[in-house]
Amino acid sequence: MPFDRELLKGSIALLILKLLSERDMYGYEIIQESLRRSQDAFEFKEGTLYPALHQLHKRGYLHSEWRTGKNGKQRKYYGVTAAGRKAARRSEQEWLSFTKVVNAILSKANA
Amino acid sequence: MAFFHQSGERHTLEGQRVIHLDRIASRVISLAKLPGKNRRAEVAEELCAHLEDLAEEVRSEGYDEKATARIVRMRFGEAEEVAGAFASVYAPERLAKLILRSAMLVTASTMSVVVVIGGVQLIAAICTATSMVSILRGIPQEVFGFGAVTAGYCSLYAGERIFPTSLAKALSPSITLGLCLAALFGWLVPHHAALPLAAFACAAAGRLLQRVEIPFVWFAGTALPLLTAWALFGPLISGWQFPWLVWVGLTVSCKALREIVRLFERVFVQDFA
Repeated sequence: MPFDRELLKGSIALLILKLLSERDMYGYEIIQESLRRSQDAFEFKEGTLYPALHQLHKRGYLHSEWRTGKNGKQRKYYGVTAAGRKAARRSEQEWLSFTKVVNAILSKANA
Repeated sequence: MAFFHQSGERHTLEGQRVIHLDRIASRVISLAKLPGKNRRAEVAEELCAHLEDLAEEVRSEGYDEKATARIVRMRFGEAEEVAGAFASVYAPERLAKLILRSAMLVTASTMSVVVVIGGVQLIAAICTATSMVSILRGIPQEVFGFGAVTAGYCSLYAGERIFPTSLAKALSPSITLGLCLAALFGWLVPHHAALPLAAFACAAAGRLLQRVEIPFVWFAGTALPLLTAWALFGPLISGWQFPWLVWVGLTVSCKALREIVRLFERVFVQDFA
């Protein structure tokens, strides 16, 4: 299901930070993982993912290093820093509160 | 593993044709105008690795090379869009670098103008046996002149960089700055405003004519504003002669500034491409 771009904008950093807080991944792997978890409903576009990774790296929320993957290819792996974990927790709380409020309004409107 | 043929086509060691993935990445890099050579190389490598993974996945679904190339391009999206997103991430850094390098250019240009015009005056003083004290007395006013020469030359250069395809637009920063300086000099040094303004016009005109391929034509660029002033105001002032020494100083300064700009472009060419 294609989601509205504007709707996704605010949640991209949270999704990236949460995925990477479990294990270090490279860009292509993040796309595959988000597809798998959302059962092919949500796919990061390259034009969104890589600039977002670089932005988070610049802010100090991610660290990165080049590693040789299983197939012998060099990949740039990203992982979450302590500041990134803190930002992810804060962002998650915000997101949960926000969706709670939206759901509450929607459920009343639909009742 | 892959390598390039002289034709630019890419093949594996087994001879299979590989999609020009690096071209997609190169296009993103060139459009994004990322600051720093190392960063550009790293982003290109990262995008290439991503595209290779994407191509491998598509190939594993049974598509041939042609279809794979098309699908990879489609799934990767528009290079302009990816580049735009990267550019906005690095925009503050790029701007900071641009300001720093522009400041370096202006400083180096001003210093060269001081050295050249100071040198010309020194030689003239020695040749005419003029006291150095009388030359040094005029230094406070000359500071405006040094600044004006740099401003005239660099403002046109900046205009050329910002508007590379339109001469009329390229002139706009110089015209705007010239008017601002006219107001500033008229307020600060009303009795000595004419020479710095003429120097500004000479430097800008010199830079303008340096665009012409014919050698030495730009000498006229530095002379023209002075000749105009001489023709207009010369008859009104008794004993006023064409300022040959000023013209020599301005012309040599323009030559020095041209070399500085060339050096600047050579060193920072990637960031200002």
